[in-house]
Amino acid sequence: MKKIIALIVIISAIFPALARAERVHIDVEAREFKRLKVAMPAFGGARALADSVWAICAKDLEISGAFSLINPKGYINPGPMSKVEPGTLHNWSLIGADYVIAARVDAQDQLVNLVIQVVELSTSRILINTAYTTKRETAYRAVHAFMDNFLGKALGIDPLFSTKFVAVQKTGKKKQLYTVWCDGTGGSPIKGGGDLILDPAWSPDGKKIAFVSYWRNNPDLYLLDIPTFEVDVISAHKGINTTPSFDSTGRKIACTLSKDGDPEIYIVDVASRNPLRLTSSWAIDTSPCFSPDGSKVVFCSSRGGNPQIYLMDIASRKTDRLTFQGTYNSEPVFSPKRDLIAFIYLSDHDRQYHIALIRPDGTGMKVLPGTGRGDESPTFSPDGRLIAFSSSDGNIYVTDLIGSFTARVTSGGGFSQPCWSRPLE
Amino acid sequence: MSRREGINSDQDNTFFKNKEEYMRRLGRGICIIVILSLVFFAFGCAKKKIEQAGEVTPPSEQKEVGPPSEMGMNMPGAEGGVQATPQGGAQGSAVSADIAAFEKDDIFFDYDKASIRPDDRKILSQKAAFLNAHPQMNVKIEGYCDERGTSEYNLALGERRAKAAQDYLVFLGIKPDRVSIVSYGEENPLDPGHNEEAWAKNRRAHFVITE
Repeated sequence: MKKIIALIVIISAIFPALARAERVHIDVEAREFKRLKVAMPAFGGARALADSVWAICAKDLEISGAFSLINPKGYINPGPMSKVEPGTLHNWSLIGADYVIAARVDAQDQLVNLVIQVVELSTSRILINTAYTTKRETAYRAVHAFMDNFLGKALGIDPLFSTKFVAVQKTGKKKQLYTVWCDGTGGSPIKGGGDLILDPAWSPDGKKIAFVSYWRNNPDLYLLDIPTFEVDVISAHKGINTTPSFDSTGRKIACTLSKDGDPEIYIVDVASRNPLRLTSSWAIDTSPCFSPDGSKVVFCSSRGGNPQIYLMDIASRKTDRLTFQGTYNSEPVFSPKRDLIAFIYLSDHDRQYHIALIRPDGTGMKVLPGTGRGDESPTFSPDGRLIAFSSSDGNIYVTDLIGSFTARVTSGGGFSQPCWSRPLE
Repeated sequence: MSRREGINSDQDNTFFKNKEEYMRRLGRGICIIVILSLVFFAFGCAKKKIEQAGEVTPPSEQKEVGPPSEMGMNMPGAEGGVQATPQGGAQGSAVSADIAAFEKDDIFFDYDKASIRPDDRKILSQKAAFLNAHPQMNVKIEGYCDERGTSEYNLALGERRAKAAQDYLVFLGIKPDRVSIVSYGEENPLDPGHNEEAWAKNRRAHFVITE
């Protein structure tokens, strides 16, 4: 009898632990968002140009997280197709398409004309029929404008392709700032600022970038005004001044300062530069991020013995530990739109760093597959639907909240620490 | 021997070394901006051509966000980055050799730890002895991490490692104001490899004589 009781005690002790371990890797809650299927045969017009514009459209459909391109190999009419012929709509419905896109791309001196049509097959209605004229070297901007129009008309989704990443680009031994549209087009370095720049963060209005530079041989916080490219010092105290993150008003920056002896979370008022200390633990406190309403700060702390995610109510300083799974959880970021936090989780299973999600009450933790090769620095899209991150191959990737796809944005490597902007004018 | 070893000496550095160059670049920048504005204006007039049935949205604006890439950021305090490490040029060669010996030995740390290993205490005692013998010299301790984990956390961890070494030197009687620290996190690894051997070398504190 005693043995049986002992057995029951042991089983009931082990079972919750097992259940907890399981919960992390099985995603039972997320309902798969049904991506809308798009048929897009080759575009008409100037051949090479039309193909390059088509390729950007195809990449943007994937990155949008909302559409999936039906493989052109299965098309009855593979194109080139400049217009959707009303008599052929049935052919597109037959292969399961929700929308069919046809376009014509022509070059005129230094300009590019993109005339693009979208037909919604469920209603046989022309959803979009628009001409875009752009400079030839920025033909991708025509695709961006079209894609944002398409996302809005088909799904009521906020503009996505008018957003950029600011990231760190490593070239040789230097690390400097780099901006690129969210589909990897139009990348360009921002020169200067020192040879070692880290932790870039975009202000909500898209006009400023906060970053860490060793310009004065210490990790200090600077603020770049993009229109004038004037740079101001935000925080240059003794010790580290790192991990800036704006609140939704752009008036406050949460960051890590060690001016009082060890790394603690502070809020710096952008106007006055005055730092307000939030944490006081002997351990490492770093990587803060404001909640969308600005009332809370999520951050990483090693106060429990190893890095874990904590959430502090700023007014009361009440702090709750959110993560208990794993021995290394870091770099938390709040979704700008919903109650969700993304962070970096060291998986016990494959010993790799993955993007993981958790609710601010500590429930619903799930791990996204990502690249499976070590992912870092998650950043939400402004509408909160997508997450970008950098991987160990030095490229930026985009995934969605259920990990239904992982799309590479940049090529060539050398990129880290992406931060996603709001839609830029 | 130049003491301006730092950022400003770099050939392809884009900072403005003097006011003339700044003005010249500023002038060039203004020209570019004026030309671009004229071009945008011309395009703005040339746009809006083909429109057919269905709804029409205006052509996309071609405004690129971000500073023109040919220009650099205008950092505060043009003297930035000058407080670089002297190479011991003013000192006698015997002292230079001593400094080189002092700077050669790093101390190392366990994964995700910032505590001084018992076998590194001897190295720190030697460093304290050197500093006691050369009261005019100061030391800067650089803290480093291996590449594992996030770079944000590693910047904090690197600082704790440098701080642990600083605390130990102070414990051995060196005045705190002679010992400065800086964290480089997982940047500038000693060994660029991706294995335990490389990682062990990269979890270190490095000592540099500053004055």
